[in-house]
Amino acid sequence: MSAINNNCEYISKKQIEITFDGKTYKAYEGDTIASALLRNNIRLVGRSFKYHRPRGIYTCGIEEPNALVQIISEHNEPNTRATIKRVYDGIEITSQNRWPSLTYDFGAINNILSPIFSAGFYYKTFMGPKGFWKNLYEPLIRRSAGLGKPPKNFRSKSTHQYHNNDVVIIGAGLSGLAAAKKFINTKYKVLLIEQDSYLGGVLKNSNKVKTINDLTPRKWISETEKLILNSKNITILKNTLVTTYNFTNHLIALEDKFAGKKIELNKSELTLHKIRTSNTIIANGHIERFISFRNNDLPGVMLASSFEKYIHRYGVVPEKEPVIFTNNSSSLSLLKKLISLGCKPNAYVDSRKKDNIETEIKKILKDNEISFFSDAEIEGCDGNKKVETITIRQGKSFKKLQSSMLCVSGGYNPDIHLFTQSKGLVKWDKNILSFKPDTPFQKTITLGSTSGNYNFKKLCDEINEKLSIFKTKKVSLDINLNVPNKFSITELWETKKKNNSNWSKSFVDLHNDVTTKDLKQAITEGFDRIEHLKRYTTNSMGTDQGKISSINSLAIVSKMLKKEISEVGTTTYRPPYAPLSFAAIAGRSTYEFYDPERKTSIHSWHLKNNAVFENVGQWKRPWYFKASENETMHQAVQRESKMLRENAGILDGSTLGKIEIKGRDALEFMNLMYTNAFSKMKPMTSRYAMMLGEDGMIKDDGIICKISDQHFIATTTSSGAPKVLADMEEYLQTEWPHLQVFLNSITEQFSTFNISGPKTREIMMKVFPDIDFSNDAFPFMTFKNFDYKKTKIRIMRASFTGELGYEIYVPPKFGLELWQEIFSCGKEYNLIPYGTETMHLLRAEKGYIVIGQETDGTVTPIDLNYNWMIGKNKKDFIGKRSLTRPDTSREDRKQLVGLLPINKKDIIEEGQHIVELNELPKKITNPIKYLGHVSSGYHSPNLNHSIGLAMIKGGKNLFGQKFFVTATGKTKNIPVEIVNPVFIDPENKRLTS
Amino acid sequence: MILIKCPYCGERDQSEFANGGEAHVIRPKNPESLSDKDWGEYVFYRNNPKGIFYERWVHSHGCKKWFNAVRNTSTDQILKVYKVNEKRPDLSDFENTLKSPSGEPLVGSGNFAVKK
Repeated sequence: MSAINNNCEYISKKQIEITFDGKTYKAYEGDTIASALLRNNIRLVGRSFKYHRPRGIYTCGIEEPNALVQIISEHNEPNTRATIKRVYDGIEITSQNRWPSLTYDFGAINNILSPIFSAGFYYKTFMGPKGFWKNLYEPLIRRSAGLGKPPKNFRSKSTHQYHNNDVVIIGAGLSGLAAAKKFINTKYKVLLIEQDSYLGGVLKNSNKVKTINDLTPRKWISETEKLILNSKNITILKNTLVTTYNFTNHLIALEDKFAGKKIELNKSELTLHKIRTSNTIIANGHIERFISFRNNDLPGVMLASSFEKYIHRYGVVPEKEPVIFTNNSSSLSLLKKLISLGCKPNAYVDSRKKDNIETEIKKILKDNEISFFSDAEIEGCDGNKKVETITIRQGKSFKKLQSSMLCVSGGYNPDIHLFTQSKGLVKWDKNILSFKPDTPFQKTITLGSTSGNYNFKKLCDEINEKLSIFKTKKVSLDINLNVPNKFSITELWETKKKNNSNWSKSFVDLHNDVTTKDLKQAITEGFDRIEHLKRYTTNSMGTDQGKISSINSLAIVSKMLKKEISEVGTTTYRPPYAPLSFAAIAGRSTYEFYDPERKTSIHSWHLKNNAVFENVGQWKRPWYFKASENETMHQAVQRESKMLRENAGILDGSTLGKIEIKGRDALEFMNLMYTNAFSKMKPMTSRYAMMLGEDGMIKDDGIICKISDQHFIATTTSSGAPKVLADMEEYLQTEWPHLQVFLNSITEQFSTFNISGPKTREIMMKVFPDIDFSNDAFPFMTFKNFDYKKTKIRIMRASFTGELGYEIYVPPKFGLELWQEIFSCGKEYNLIPYGTETMHLLRAEKGYIVIGQETDGTVTPIDLNYNWMIGKNKKDFIGKRSLTRPDTSREDRKQLVGLLPINKKDIIEEGQHIVELNELPKKITNPIKYLGHVSSGYHSPNLNHSIGLAMIKGGKNLFGQKFFVTATGKTKNIPVEIVNPVFIDPENKRLTS
Repeated sequence: MILIKCPYCGERDQSEFANGGEAHVIRPKNPESLSDKDWGEYVFYRNNPKGIFYERWVHSHGCKKWFNAVRNTSTDQILKVYKVNEKRPDLSDFENTLKSPSGEPLVGSGNFAVKK
């Protein structure tokens, strides 16, 4: 066996070196991995998915089921189809799914064990004992079944590009180019997309067309390309594969920017094109299919048109004397080409009856003395990791031939993948024995072999007719052929086996190792609907999506079910057409670019002062500040909490959402949106308020500042701000358009500081000597505006810690300056910065709730005992009616309570259950009565024991009672007392001091 | 990704919009006068038909305006968009254009990609 080189204009004469499984080979610039390996007579390139059977190169394009390799020199890129990946000097490639080596693969034992790996084996085997799946079977299967290993240390540099077009032509083969030619210098904006780096399709890949308009195909392509390039309205994208056809003519295409070149690390290797078009022309041709026979997966079996493509497109004849096995008229061009190169096929096996075979074929075979078997088929082939012997069946007689390659043609399928993705309907065509496009769902036109037209002479009329909806000129194509003009085919999906053995398999899906026997078994077991059968057998579910085999399996199944193929139907074609890398989809949106980071004006100060940050929505908030390198989070939070209640602390609250509500009807609007009544509220005062959903459940809370009846400022939770604003907008636009109200997000217009603690007043008086902070002049829940340096600030008396506190609103430009000023003034009072964790601890001590912690979308204000917040006299507000629904007024709803450990050393953990049992049984057999859960649990440094807030069924009436809280890793529960959820200063003396 | 025509901005990608569920569900004027059952209907119950559906959309990453649309939920075709204060179009305007992507029956799904 040996390959020979053929002159080819697409392959440069420049020799390069590539490495495959550690060995270095010579290749030419322009080669794919597959063509380079074939040139070096390497046939074995991988091991199969399930049985680890030796596999070779089966095709010459995107449809490849076998030859998947890993590119070590490109971030370890796995599952690369060797048939399309172009090589460059120094490329490093390894085979996949084998151990210890490709030739000696331990996993091949699966082939012997294959009876247990038949259809549905995942569902039937590995059922027990319990725990074995997770710990043993799954890791084992994942290691032995499979594909390549994922890339390491990888960072995508892919980019996305957007297009808006009038017409997109998919495929620049004969039909695509002819169609594009019609649009030259027209008003239409056209995009022509070709997956290869050269235009021409069938003209470039095969010997089928002799001349076109009296030019050689090569000449016609280059002249046409020149005309298209000179036309300003047409853009050509090469090395670009359309993977997805969505609704409203939205296409996704992937461009390989480094096809055949070494990737430059600082440049984008892939571009994902997102294309919106008015019309789509699909001209992406056809895909040859195989025929199932015994050992049809041995390295050396190859599709006939792929063999022909290697000669034409890549200048390599994989084998001088292959056997050709066909059921149709198209293999004539391969035969002619081989003879013209001085190669002589070993045999020509045609399953058609002798009378149906074209005279031209018969004459060539006779003239060149090539063994000819008509009305015959390949029974199977044998060999050790390669084809060695081929058995031909003609009637009842068998003949064995020695040959190392077998070219198979089972006919052609129009490539309807994209058409069906677009939701077009397909129809079975008896003349070509395949599905072809019928009714488009969108503005989609299919041309040439994609549309099921295999007649070159009719192509010109088809194009002119189908594109007559556009204002374009007619094209003329005068085509001379090397194949019969009329396509002739006979039905043949699977050949009969002489005898059965576990070694000999007749595959219908090479990628997922599905045999024809699996199909039979699935049907016997009742999976006779094609969609069920597909999932049960995993047929056509591999990375190749069964491109060369799915129609075969439909046909085989229909024969077994004794139904028409059109009755059996096809499975759904889903995007993508071919695998596309996650890197392309992710584009630049990875790591720190995945989501914007929002930082406050004080961020640089936080960094300098050893803040540890917490993500709150997109915001970076200080979680706690490390006083020393070794301080743990627990230590820091305990320290901060204690210091604040003794002296004072300051929190950067700039992330709190702030919404300005202005307009004639602002008061009425606020009364409708929030539970509280704002009518009697005095101007320049503020109030803690709640927003509900129509179902009566708490959505958000915040402080509402009333400047006047026409002007409010609402604060929201840090992460809830966008949603609150959106909800307000929605009601204004849809339910109450008569209200004259304007909303504006002012979150980023203010830096906000919450300063609180017993020494706060002294500090504030030092920072703002002109302001009277006395209780009479500046009472709790009021606010005032002041001039500060060159700007204006607002100070509000409010607190979330339960201590005397103020909130300062300052334009961010002056934020850091003021923050630093406060610190220099606060130094003598031991002012500390504190983070969100301390804030949460302090508010829990005071029994204040946090949205999303105590509430979870099933909690009403009544459940929290916040009845005082509900404006009962208001006629209506969002959610009011729901508060009196039978379910929301149930007595045994979960209600907010406090938890005190009876043994002061016990720790109450957040998220634990509250139960009646003091100890859990070792083995839990019956459900244990559950009363509620701990929503917040902290160690209070000011009380020196653990405290908890909990939501307990009927909790309001349980104060003083004893229950138990479960604990991590223990069966013994913690005894707790249910108390009023305010642990510190229940009289609010500190708050209003 | 479908293309949606915002009545204020024109055609934009679906990713700029958010869906707001069924349209023309009006918040009762006097919720207090409603029975628990009627209020529950308003809060919790929405239609979800296969076929023509009046629904609300908001151009959330654009002009932030709410509008209504008539969509065929089985084909994802948006048949009409109109502003909140505009009258809803009549169902009979669309019935003739109703078609299923794969000729599938109106109820249930399945893959009927092959034309009989």
